[in-house]
Amino acid sequence: MKHTLFAGLVAAALAVPAYAGDYMIMAPAAPGGGWDQTARTMQEVLGAEGISGSVQVQNVPGAGGTVGLAQFVSQNAGKGDQLIVGGYVMVGAILTNASPVSLADVTPIARLTGEYEAIVVPASSPIQNIGELVEALKADPGAVSWAGGSAGGTDHIAVGLLAKAAGVDPTKINYIAYSGGGEALAAILGSQVTAGISGLGEFKAQADAGTLRILAVTSEERIEGVDAPTLKEAGLDVVLQNWRMVAAAPGISADQKAAILADVEKMVNSASWQTALETKGWANTYLAGDAFQAQLDADIASTETILKDIGLVK
Amino acid sequence: MAGFDLLMQGLVAAMDPMLLLYALIGVTLGTAVGVLPGIGPALTVALLLPVTYGLDPAGSLIMFAGIYYGGMYGGSTTSILLNTPGESASIITALEGNKMARAGRGGPALATAAIGSFVAGLIATLLLAFLAPSVVKIAIAFGPRDYFALMVLAFVTVSSAFGDSTRKGLISLFVGLSLALVGIDQLSGQARLAYGVPQLLDGIEVTTLAVAMFALGEALFVAGQGGPGEAKVIAVKGSVWMTRKDWARSWKPWLRGTALGFPIGAMPAGGAEIGTFLSYATEKRLTKHPEEFGNGAIEGVAGPEAANNASAAGTLVPLLTLGLPTSATAAIMLAGFQQFGLQPGPLLFATNPDLVWSLIASLLIANAMLLVLNLPLIGLWVRLLTIPRPWLYAGILVFATLGTIGANPSPVELFMLLCFGVMGYLMRLYGFPIAPVVVGLILGPMAEQQLRRALSISQGDLTTLVASPVSAVLLALAFLALVVPMVLRMRGKGQVLTQLAADED
Amino acid sequence: MSGFNPSQRRPDGVALVTAAALGAVAVLIWTDAARLPQDAGYSGVGPADVPRWIAGCLGGLALWSLVAAFREAPEAPPRQAWGPVLWIVAGLLAQLVLLQPVGFSVATGLLFACTARGFGKRNLMVTVPVGIVFALAIHLVFAGLLKLSLPAGPLENLFLGG
Repeated sequence: MKHTLFAGLVAAALAVPAYAGDYMIMAPAAPGGGWDQTARTMQEVLGAEGISGSVQVQNVPGAGGTVGLAQFVSQNAGKGDQLIVGGYVMVGAILTNASPVSLADVTPIARLTGEYEAIVVPASSPIQNIGELVEALKADPGAVSWAGGSAGGTDHIAVGLLAKAAGVDPTKINYIAYSGGGEALAAILGSQVTAGISGLGEFKAQADAGTLRILAVTSEERIEGVDAPTLKEAGLDVVLQNWRMVAAAPGISADQKAAILADVEKMVNSASWQTALETKGWANTYLAGDAFQAQLDADIASTETILKDIGLVK
Repeated sequence: MAGFDLLMQGLVAAMDPMLLLYALIGVTLGTAVGVLPGIGPALTVALLLPVTYGLDPAGSLIMFAGIYYGGMYGGSTTSILLNTPGESASIITALEGNKMARAGRGGPALATAAIGSFVAGLIATLLLAFLAPSVVKIAIAFGPRDYFALMVLAFVTVSSAFGDSTRKGLISLFVGLSLALVGIDQLSGQARLAYGVPQLLDGIEVTTLAVAMFALGEALFVAGQGGPGEAKVIAVKGSVWMTRKDWARSWKPWLRGTALGFPIGAMPAGGAEIGTFLSYATEKRLTKHPEEFGNGAIEGVAGPEAANNASAAGTLVPLLTLGLPTSATAAIMLAGFQQFGLQPGPLLFATNPDLVWSLIASLLIANAMLLVLNLPLIGLWVRLLTIPRPWLYAGILVFATLGTIGANPSPVELFMLLCFGVMGYLMRLYGFPIAPVVVGLILGPMAEQQLRRALSISQGDLTTLVASPVSAVLLALAFLALVVPMVLRMRGKGQVLTQLAADED
Repeated sequence: MSGFNPSQRRPDGVALVTAAALGAVAVLIWTDAARLPQDAGYSGVGPADVPRWIAGCLGGLALWSLVAAFREAPEAPPRQAWGPVLWIVAGLLAQLVLLQPVGFSVATGLLFACTARGFGKRNLMVTVPVGIVFALAIHLVFAGLLKLSLPAGPLENLFLGG
């Protein structure tokens, strides 16, 4: 995360000059990361489509988004022009950091984009498919080392869920946390670890080049252009999407919420949003209103369970 | 060799006057922003990248390369002249460079830095061009245990190379190591020493610590030393240029710095700083003028600065071949490359050879342009020191805080800046070296994480740490680096004692 | 020590304070580590182990400093004027407190003036306006042209068309 600091200023420079805004979007991360890019893209599209005259983006980095979330909740109650970008990582961070505010304190609006996780081995690995990996895991969980992102993050949760579904004690997984997808990728390519797990986008180029083998993905159905089964097909009931969302301030009225929902829907349906998703390689997993709320509640519940199972949350 | 032809084509194409002009503009802008105290190359490149958007791909690529080199060199300039490094890799340059500048030898210090950067950049870029695919294979074979061994070697060589008092040097190092503990432990997700302050969960930012301890600490120290009209700084004493002797003492450190910086920079978890640390330690060992170290030894500028630039080119190896950004600057460059339609990754050299070669040609041109622009300007830069102190230091503090505010406008971050600034001041006051604090903050977490990763992979088997040939060799070197000086010192002490005894007779 | 060192000189105060500070930090780290769950996983080295090693070393350095305080001759106390130092610290504090409410330029202008005061430019009537104009210029270049996000106050909004 620190490494990508400032990279987003690039995106900022493309944005329209800032006026006093109809919307203020908080990106609870340093410039450059996924949340920041989501916020900046929203800023661009809302402006270009004339949905909102002016949009400002504010970065409040720290602690998996919980620093920004706390500030957002305490300063903006009842304000209908304040938005915050967030994602699945926040769900875990709130629990592991014992954050005093949670996603229950904001008004979720919609899920915007998402990425599924991929499980890979280096091309030279003797493991050919997900079944063999699971067998190895069952035989000796300690001997299967997993490289992925930080402890308690999406990658770690996915391995925990996989182990649980395979009937292996999740506290026994040998998960090796790296600071970002990049460093983990180097460890996987160098065969330092048995397997690796991260967002599909991190591995796609290497898989195409034939240096990595994708064993499985965590989506509901097979993903186009990826030659790998889902975990479900392999008999492991694990579906996990690392999604990004937008939420509004706590305590807003029903009218205010409806207005924001309408604006966000207009944005998502616009041509420039679709183009932006395509150039950035983001999958459109738009889900709004009550359906999103239900999905969010389910994600929070399952995440809390698995983090307790892994032993990261007491 | 096809690569060579393509490189030549790229170089010839880049000789277009318009492109050379873009390179010149890039270098000028990069130097102008990079030279502001407390603003490192990462921020410089990020801020100036948008300037390149309006141009055609060839133009923007070459201007970008210019900004990159300009930013790096500008950072070193202020480190040397004002002792205010904006990033961790130029801290070591500041160590000797600033001492030289104070003695009126700022000109030669800047010159050896500029020429050393050029030489290192030239060699490292050529290595990048022709060896990147094979270097990266070696680099990814480096596992956690090998990195751990490298960190141990760095600790041993570096901690013996700082300061006169072993006790004070070690205290500084452990202050850095203690600060490194703050924040979420990456491997277990446990918060350490954060005391419920959410801003502390992400740990202490190296740039905040470096800017605070160097720029603020220095300003406080200088302010406390004297009232108005106190000892004017001598901007130039002797020649602004390097003498024959300076050349003789510089060229070997340039080459050694390149040899250390490039491979370490090419490792996915190597980092730009470690090469500079090791280069400094090496030069201190090999120098014929050990008495000058700590008082402005030109080798101590030439080596680390070359290492810094070589490792910057080295970080392009994993960036281009794997798409791995391994430093803050590299992360921003990745964003830049994507704008130019360059998609770093394993297939880059196969699918986009023309873009890769024009990038490399651009880097070479920008590197040369830097030298052309900056050598004549050295005389001007050293005049910075003649700005009246109240204005100079007031400006330094404004820019130092600007860097921090721009990165994270949180009061907590500014408060940390203030605290570390005062700490840096007190440490200067009572003779504790500053650099080991930053070294500890950088190396500490890397060493801890790599050790625990290595042991995790081996499931707690300690022998894994020496089981790979690389780690075994590095640890053996570390052991020798620790023991040999001790033995020498003991023998030396013996001699001194006999001498004393003889004197008493 | 007392036997053959009759000179009753005072112990080195700096070394004593250093020893006390290092000891305190060691205790702080140790107690924090004690709170952490000892979950070493497969590595055998948990999140609390490295802090313990460091705390141990800090303790050792504290003892060394304590010994040094009595053994080594104290270094000549550095001559320092505290006034200028306090001026600069006050400037930094002012910037920290005022940054959000009044914006970058005014807060940083005060820092500029306080620093200049610390270095002997006493006339705040000159340095404060100079500092504010200087900081505003920086704000216009970095926030306006280069899009760095800097806290804006009324003054900045006047220029950036807020």
